[in-house]
Amino acid sequence: MSVSADWSWQRVALAGMRDALTLPAWIVGFGLIGIGSLARDVGYPVDVAVLSTILVWAGPSQVLFFASIAAGAAWSAILIAIAFASLRFLPMTMAILPLLRRPGQSVWQQLFLAHYVAVTAWSEGLRRLPAIAPHQRVAYFLGFANTCMAVSSVGTFAGYYLLGALPIPFAAGLLCLTPMFFLVSLMGGLRHRGDAAALLLGLALAPICERFIGGGFDLIVAGLVAGSVAFLIGRKRRPA
Amino acid sequence: MTQPIAMLDGPLWPYLALMLFAVLPTEIWRWLAVGFARRLSTDSPLLEWVRAVATALLAGIVAKLIVSPPGVLATAPALVRVAALAAAAGIMFVDKRRMMLAVLAGETVLIAGVWLFAG
Repeated sequence: MSVSADWSWQRVALAGMRDALTLPAWIVGFGLIGIGSLARDVGYPVDVAVLSTILVWAGPSQVLFFASIAAGAAWSAILIAIAFASLRFLPMTMAILPLLRRPGQSVWQQLFLAHYVAVTAWSEGLRRLPAIAPHQRVAYFLGFANTCMAVSSVGTFAGYYLLGALPIPFAAGLLCLTPMFFLVSLMGGLRHRGDAAALLLGLALAPICERFIGGGFDLIVAGLVAGSVAFLIGRKRRPA
Repeated sequence: MTQPIAMLDGPLWPYLALMLFAVLPTEIWRWLAVGFARRLSTDSPLLEWVRAVATALLAGIVAKLIVSPPGVLATAPALVRVAALAAAAGIMFVDKRRMMLAVLAGETVLIAGVWLFAG
């Protein structure tokens, strides 16, 4: 829904909540159901599963954490794998913060806002925030992201007790929601052919790199190469 | 199963492990980004590049989850996983605003596919 520039911050936050509940919050929530069942498999308490959703707030990191413990990986290897898988937050957070930045904002407020950066809040934020007046963006973003987080916490809690009981096709469907929504929300946010190139090259290069580059570096290499090529394609369009 | 670090083991170990080995290596990049982003304006070319890399990284994660799927998703044949994604992408290609329809179509293809070919 569109936000009018004269709304109070409460009304703007509510609009963010409502936009989250139209679809994105449910997708992240369903997507994190699997985390609950993974945490249970390694014998960690349900509150660690739910805390991981609130404090880590990154599906791939959470999957890596619990699945690596189940596989018996060394703690140092788990740390390095998660650090690499999360490197994407550096460019992602750098891309969205300028949209949320206001004069007089403290570093602490920015660190707090940065915590909410994850695939959904990021791709939806990049898509929706530019249409909202700058002074209303923080309220909207927090309303949106906190709603996603609340729904996801419930999803993680439910998954701890539920997922093993579901028929296989539905369990597979739940796990597939994550990549499906990533793709749909990236496509929804495409602005020009540089963006489209980044999407297509990323899709194509990642499996190739996974095949030939080991040690957990494959995704980073694919992203850097595909993103840089796409950036050049996008720049060519404009007069210099 | 990875055993707790003996020196730090106790009833609070799962919480400590979560903070040290999951929260810290994830959150550190968001914090670093706050430091870097303060010196950049919204329309700088560097930020355009960073955005392109981030988009490609996310697309890469999508491809990886479909090519080497986690857990139960692996019971879906590769063709079904790709078809499900293609169905969602096809709808988004025709109309960018139909996100809900795209996700529903993709999920229908996947669930029906697993039911028919893997059950």
